Amino acid sequence: MSSCQTDRTVPPSCGRWATLRLGQIAFQRHFDRHGFRSTCACVCGRSDMAACGKGLDKFMFSLRLLRNLQLQNERFLSTSVCRLAVGGSSEQPPKFTPPSKPVIVDKTQTVASTRSHLSPEFIPPRQRTNPFKFYIERKDMIRRRKVLNIPEFYAGSILAVTMADPNASGKMNRFVGICIQRGGHGLGATFVLRNIIDNQGVEICYELYSPRIQQIEVLKLEKRLDDNLMYLRDALPEYCTVDPDMKPEPISPTGEVPVNKLKVRMRPKPWSKRWERPKFNIQGIRFDRSLTPEQMEHAQKWAQPWREYDMLKEYDTSKLEEQILSEVQREMSK
Amino acid sequence: DPPLISLAKMARQLLGCEHVLPSHLVGCIRTVKTTTWFDEHLTEDNQEYMRKTTAEEYRRQTAEKLNPLKDEPWQRHEWTEGSRRVGLVAVKLGMVPVWSKTGERHVVTMLQVQDCHVIKHLSKEEFDGHTAALVVGGKNVSPFNRSESQMEMFRNAGVPPKQKVTTFKVSDNALIKPGTPLYAAHYRPGQYVDVTAKSIGKGFQGVMKRWGFKGQPATHGQTKTHRRPGASGPGGDPAKVFKGKKMPGRMGNVYVTAHGLKIWRVNTKYNVLYVNGSIPGHKNCLLKVKRHTRAHKHTQTRK
Repeated sequence: MSSCQTDRTVPPSCGRWATLRLGQIAFQRHFDRHGFRSTCACVCGRSDMAACGKGLDKFMFSLRLLRNLQLQNERFLSTSVCRLAVGGSSEQPPKFTPPSKPVIVDKTQTVASTRSHLSPEFIPPRQRTNPFKFYIERKDMIRRRKVLNIPEFYAGSILAVTMADPNASGKMNRFVGICIQRGGHGLGATFVLRNIIDNQGVEICYELYSPRIQQIEVLKLEKRLDDNLMYLRDALPEYCTVDPDMKPEPISPTGEVPVNKLKVRMRPKPWSKRWERPKFNIQGIRFDRSLTPEQMEHAQKWAQPWREYDMLKEYDTSKLEEQILSEVQREMSK
Repeated sequence: DPPLISLAKMARQLLGCEHVLPSHLVGCIRTVKTTTWFDEHLTEDNQEYMRKTTAEEYRRQTAEKLNPLKDEPWQRHEWTEGSRRVGLVAVKLGMVPVWSKTGERHVVTMLQVQDCHVIKHLSKEEFDGHTAALVVGGKNVSPFNRSESQMEMFRNAGVPPKQKVTTFKVSDNALIKPGTPLYAAHYRPGQYVDVTAKSIGKGFQGVMKRWGFKGQPATHGQTKTHRRPGASGPGGDPAKVFKGKKMPGRMGNVYVTAHGLKIWRVNTKYNVLYVNGSIPGHKNCLLKVKRHTRAHKHTQTRK
């Protein structure tokens, strides 16, 4: 074993080959590029070494093309183990076991999102407060974000939150649920997760910047047709049930966030709020399943169509958002 | 004598004098106010000049006060039990949550100490015969809307004019020279303070909101009586309503003190104090902050 090992640094492609060492194709490739010796350096187990030797032996006898190469690389075959393998051609070749499917986990590169997203709690509300107060708060928020990774998520995404709890066994408790609401501004920003556990609906309101939160994981990133999914309390339980052992789905770092245009079916009335009224402006409920057209028309009595033309209620945050986004990105990259 | 102040005086005399009526209004009995602001009748470049010179003047004055070599401070004395230190004048910024190391969440108000200077020293005899006092001023403000007597006080201290000016009773070993700036580092986290400010004015309010009366029921035959005070006193024996009877009137816009507030955090770069709980007053209002002496029963501290 020691004779096969070399001291030189092994290039990364060798590492990849190490997982595919039993594959015949790999043999051919690396036989061309590197000497047998250098490939042996990455192999760890002695049995693998022997298998290499046997495979090589089979290879040489089976394919004529490599004869020339064999002549070139003969000096690399001078290892004692390989000679022994070449010598033992009389024994039965082992039953061919296909190689295990490689799972390449590239831990060296983190998936950096190219989608620039500003979390809604950074945008200050329209108040007569000194912007300096928001600046100081933002500094604290960025300090916390440097320690804990708060990912991008929306109402409708499925999250798993691990919180430090002195009364729980293991001092941590983990809750998985669908995010139904994101509220608050600045350091007091909150989000509510809902799940149904043992036929009991459970909602937990977490503060994003609380130091008790150890990890926030996005299991499924998606948007819904509304920003506020409080109507899920009155919907059928199947829409809120999330498997606590759900595996995280891969999130694409580029492109738009997928919008789930699901229209939810509701339980029979009465509901906790009159969701059909236009002030809630809900797109994600199948009203035709629970209400008659007359009831829908009656709900329109509470419509306030002049509100969309009210200029005093306009709050254009585009410039502010750009400014804050550039500031946050600058501070986070420091 | 700085040229700026005389300019302002001249401007006021020539242009916006309140007591002289224009000719077409002489003889009118109704009071006619003719006040203007300082730069209404100035040309554009003059307005700019006034603004620039004021700003430069302020900067020069603050810079002068920061240099201890030019301006020697008074002697520092040792702290003794029962000595009182000067307080600060701060601006209320807003409220934020704060978490302690054990994970408990508290809500704090952020107070910023903006341009706080000591303006005058009043000795025992001048003030009340028992304790000396220091007059401290808060936020910088324009000199054009301040009266001559106020401006004289600021001029003597060599300090820009302030929006809020308060007196602090101070023991003799804590006297500070007029003109010294005061910062948020005056207090440390863990100390307790009293904060005084003018509460938000609510205007003329009824008895239920102002004094917390219960009012009357909404139904069961009540005729036009749902938020009224009801009875106003005992009856025939006194045959009068006592003085101080709680009745509707103007509510708010009075000085209210919140006692025993803990300081959670001090930001010395931006001069911000994080003070526990809520504080009377609206956002960006000026407050008087002083050390808590634990003599009052309405305190947040439990000791």
